[in-house]
Amino acid sequence: MNPQLPAIHEIWVYLSGSPLLALILTLSAWQAGVMVYERFDRNPLANPVAIAIAIVATVITLIDMPYAKYFEGAQFVHFLLGTATVALAVPIYKGLEALRGRIFPLLAALLAGGATSIVSAVGIAKLLGADAAIIGGFYAKSVTAPIAMGVAERINVSPTLTAVFAVTTGILGAILVRFVLDAVGSKAWWQRGFAVGVAAHGIGTSRAFSVHPEAGTYASLGMGLHGVLGAVLIPLAIRWIP
Amino acid sequence: MIAGLVQILLFQGLGEIVARFFLPLIPGPVIGLVLMLAWLRVRGSVPPAVDLVATAFSQNLGLLFVPAAVGVVMFWPQIRSHALAVVAALVVSVVATMAVTALVLRAIAKDGEP
Repeated sequence: MNPQLPAIHEIWVYLSGSPLLALILTLSAWQAGVMVYERFDRNPLANPVAIAIAIVATVITLIDMPYAKYFEGAQFVHFLLGTATVALAVPIYKGLEALRGRIFPLLAALLAGGATSIVSAVGIAKLLGADAAIIGGFYAKSVTAPIAMGVAERINVSPTLTAVFAVTTGILGAILVRFVLDAVGSKAWWQRGFAVGVAAHGIGTSRAFSVHPEAGTYASLGMGLHGVLGAVLIPLAIRWIP
Repeated sequence: MIAGLVQILLFQGLGEIVARFFLPLIPGPVIGLVLMLAWLRVRGSVPPAVDLVATAFSQNLGLLFVPAAVGVVMFWPQIRSHALAVVAALVVSVVATMAVTALVLRAIAKDGEP
């Protein structure tokens, strides 16, 4: 064999051993997801997160790359979740002005919504015979993914499964929000935004921003308050759930 | 850009330290968020550099979920054998959460007009 030209499998072995492959895969899958989303005029069904996850999951399955290996490279993207969580202080700060005079209804709605989220998911999963590991993933799933994973670690359930359920919840919320809120006759933008932020965190919030700015502001407020209160209350509430 | 990132990272670090030594039940980034929020309140405005980074994060927040969510491949057999329970729980729960939140708001808020 020509020593100047390494065989293709050598290049492959080299590439798959470095974090580069997982990083390129993650970022290009996200780019592809965003392109499809734009191409379909931001139709909620063409959710960029769902597309990116499907692409990455398919590719690593096809090339036989274990998830742990993929994560070794992708952890550099994952690390920024914590930083992004701290950065949520900015949209919440901007939303604080909107809180004035509405703090009581918003907090009451948040507590009712957060409790509904846990009780309905855990109740249905138990009713339909899911095992304890799956049910554990539902406790924090309506909280924004980075906080949900932190909470999951603290209540000893799988952070990965929690993240999967949290992201799926966000995508479902973004897709279904219009139909649900029309059905219950919710009209005010601030109420619609807050409801989707509480139920479907970051993905619901970016959907809200693309529909109406006021809905977006209240959605980020709903997501932020749910994240902060959820981080405190969910570990405490778990002790009361049989 | 970098100046904003440094400030956010400082609050993240501070949050991790507080979580590690004083509030082990609350995730560090959440404490960082609250501390940063308090700092912004005291300061009375958002520094432009911080605003720039925060906007960049919120516009690409979805990307950051991908590595963790790809973990679905590890749980695939488990999820598939409980597919009905998982799908039903996720769909009903998100619909119920949105409906309850919106209904409570409409019931007790005075200014419900669009």
